[in-house]
Amino acid sequence: GSRLLKGYRGGHVVIRFALGGCANRPFFRIVAAHNKRARDGKYLEQLGCLDPLPNAHGEKVAGLNLERLRYWLGCGAQLSRPAEKLLGLAGFLPLHPMTVTGAERLRQRRRREEQAGTAPEEGPSTEP
Amino acid sequence: KPAFTDQAVQALLYKMTGIDLHKVFRPVKKELKPPQYKLMTEAQLQEATRKAIEEAKEKLAMPPVLDERKPIDDVLAEDKFLEGTETAKYVFTDLTYSTPHRERFIVVREPNGVLRKATWEERDRMIQIFFPKEGRRVIPPVLFKDEHLGNVFQQDRHEDLLNMCIAQFEPDSPDYIRVHHRTYDDIDKHAKYDLLRSTRHFGGMVWYLVNRKRTDGLLIDMINRDLLDDATSLITLYHMLHPECQSAKEAKEGKLQGVDLIKVFVKTESQREGYIQLALQAYEEAMATSTAS
Repeated sequence: GSRLLKGYRGGHVVIRFALGGCANRPFFRIVAAHNKRARDGKYLEQLGCLDPLPNAHGEKVAGLNLERLRYWLGCGAQLSRPAEKLLGLAGFLPLHPMTVTGAERLRQRRRREEQAGTAPEEGPSTEP
Repeated sequence: KPAFTDQAVQALLYKMTGIDLHKVFRPVKKELKPPQYKLMTEAQLQEATRKAIEEAKEKLAMPPVLDERKPIDDVLAEDKFLEGTETAKYVFTDLTYSTPHRERFIVVREPNGVLRKATWEERDRMIQIFFPKEGRRVIPPVLFKDEHLGNVFQQDRHEDLLNMCIAQFEPDSPDYIRVHHRTYDDIDKHAKYDLLRSTRHFGGMVWYLVNRKRTDGLLIDMINRDLLDDATSLITLYHMLHPECQSAKEAKEGKLQGVDLIKVFVKTESQREGYIQLALQAYEEAMATSTAS
């Protein structure tokens, strides 16, 4: 049948990232779409964009249409985890707990690497 | 203290700008079309001139003169534990179509976790990226740096430079004010007042010079071109802005008009008295010979 006018049983609206761009050059569009649609397929509305690569001034540019975002959230749309994290960073939603956990885990990993780096250096220096 | 936008001040500045139809409607670079000729009676010609004057009035509307804007440094949130997770800062722009650009939310999340409002330069850049305006670039052209302004001034292209500056910058940005002041200083140094005479930048230039009391060159230029009305309106504006100076008090007491006003002003306020006296003498001799013959 037609893939354009699709009706779903169950299924809900999500606000998520749709990947576009070219090879080695990603570009995300923040999009309100049905849950069952393809990631880059037909969406209901584009609510913004995110450029994950920093520009000449060292900034990652992101645009968010807050008014329409509030409309879709009011209609009962759900958010994907990366979208929630981005909105937490923006300050529109409170910070996602996984952002905090991720930061903690990164710090612990770095501390472990530092200790592992200094321990073998002390080891060979104390041995002989 | 009178501001730039007062009715009286605007009326004086508009009178001084003058309307030279040949300069306002001079041929601008457009796509090539063969010229159109129209056959008109005297009445129709007058009607067409009247309409041209009204269109010229709109073209001569003066761009605003504002104070420099204060820098924004407002921190919305500090989350120190995010330090080290990101390498670059995130700039979030609110893309709601109906908010005016001045009230748009543009926030920056730094790599050290601080969420702050964006600076004016970042704001202008983001707004130009998402809502592009014609004639404006995301990164301001190199032309507006001080080293390159000298080249433009040597080519006598002050008016084009100021038009580009109005298209590129906001009226209260420090770059706009710096470029305008630099242009006015150069014009004052080389006495090239006629370049801006029938354009919309003339009023701003006169306002700048009167506020800094450097009106001598302009006065000499006006007397040399036999524009006595403009000279008197310049001195009236000076008195409106600096009412405590001596010539203002004398003028108010004596209610002087025309050439007497200029003479009183020259005696008390000007630095280059000699030149202005010479110019006035030349003008009066010219008037005498023209009335005699």
